[in-house]
Amino acid sequence: MEGDRTPDARAHVRECPHCRSLVEDMDAVRLVAHAWSVEEADPPARVWLSLRAQLEREGLIRDEVSEEAHASAPSRTEAPRGWLAGIFAAVPRPALAGAYLLALIAGSFALTRPSAKQVNESRWISGTQDSTGTLSAQLQTAERDSVSAMAGSDPVVTASLHDNLAIVDNYIALCEKSVREDPESEIARDYLYDAYEQKADLLAQMTERGVNGR
Amino acid sequence: MSTLATLRSQCHWKAAGLLVPGLLLCSAASADRIERHFKVEAHPVVTIHNPNGTVTVRAWTKSDVMVIARRATTEVEVDAEQTGNRVDVQTRQVADTASPDDLRTDFEISVPEDAELQIHNDSGGVNVSNVLGDMNVETIAAGVDLEDTAGYLTVKTVGGAFQCLRCAGRLEVTSISGNFKLVDLRSYYVRAQTSEGNILFNGSFLPNATYVLKNYSGAIEVRFSPGDSFDLSATSLKGKVHNEANLTPSSHHHFIPRFGNALFGSYNSGRARVELNSFDGTINILKRN
Repeated sequence: MEGDRTPDARAHVRECPHCRSLVEDMDAVRLVAHAWSVEEADPPARVWLSLRAQLEREGLIRDEVSEEAHASAPSRTEAPRGWLAGIFAAVPRPALAGAYLLALIAGSFALTRPSAKQVNESRWISGTQDSTGTLSAQLQTAERDSVSAMAGSDPVVTASLHDNLAIVDNYIALCEKSVREDPESEIARDYLYDAYEQKADLLAQMTERGVNGR
Repeated sequence: MSTLATLRSQCHWKAAGLLVPGLLLCSAASADRIERHFKVEAHPVVTIHNPNGTVTVRAWTKSDVMVIARRATTEVEVDAEQTGNRVDVQTRQVADTASPDDLRTDFEISVPEDAELQIHNDSGGVNVSNVLGDMNVETIAAGVDLEDTAGYLTVKTVGGAFQCLRCAGRLEVTSISGNFKLVDLRSYYVRAQTSEGNILFNGSFLPNATYVLKNYSGAIEVRFSPGDSFDLSATSLKGKVHNEANLTPSSHHHFIPRFGNALFGSYNSGRARVELNSFDGTINILKRN
């Protein structure tokens, strides 16, 4: 890391307590990470293969080499739905539903995030659409369940939840438009991520209130 | 050892009937008052779960938790349970046919000032004053007003507004359409995020403190004084940034964002960190009057 610093940066770090503290922290993290890499062996190859296979089944990553072989596997839209349905059938708890949706959002965005300057714009947009398309479908299903669960609840609360759901949906649309216009805008993607997270959280609250009969 | 106390109505029908015959007209729909006391030790935990109605919590000097409930009808029951140094208070619907208005219950609760609070309230309102313990408040439509509080404060609303007057400690608040007013704060960490609401910050910028304010639309307004010292980052992706602070280029920001309207710089020696972010809202950094 030291080798990457320019003379100006080194001089600044010497004089600026904030940046010096930050660099010291990063150096400490680097040393610990290095120590770990020495002490711990890589996990077995089967772990990575298993993880990769699972992510491919979920449609979160794509293996271009085995694209043809992929055609015979379950479709991208079928696999996550099956997984989601399994979880919800086994443990139909709103908190788990919210947590699952949040995890799905985080995973989708993390795996489609561009890597520095080497981003291939068209592939990135395609990847984003794949992941957010699956996510949108999951959220629509969750929304239908949540809205029906709210029947009979306090009308003031129900109205507030519906109004705010409309607000979040509007922001999702605006953010998606913004991401399409500026695919490399990290800020727009962060706002889109936040909006999806808010929607998942809101749907979990609606389901919870419906389940609890409030 | 758990003590379960289901609170019964203290509307003394017979006595009222003897003293004031007119009160016999008092029906089940009349509000009644319930009062309970719990002896607690230092740092008690008090949880309040009241879907409909106001919750007012104040600190006092006694080592007691006093719960006063006013329920709209007998369609709703008020339960209180003390387990060790924890007091749980909640309302419970006892008739399926009750309307939301029938279920309304207002609480006035007095706690030691070091109490930790956990409050759930869907519609109505939450008011807390002079409590210095950690606090978690969650509402849907209900507004939340905190006054002279401290500790680790986490507040989450869906549509309810949030106001914090003279709060200290650490504050994290999120909402979708609630407006935030943070006035005379002395917090060392503030993270406030609302989607459609406005955010007003008019407080102290403590040295080495962090203030992160974020929304989608609406206005973010930050007030500063000549003696304040902060490092500022203000970005609105689609909106505008208005600034009255005489900023010097910040040595901490080497990267200029390629999108949106952004402003980076230090005010005085830049001791606090201030991050203001909006999607298409307006950010105003204005001199304090």
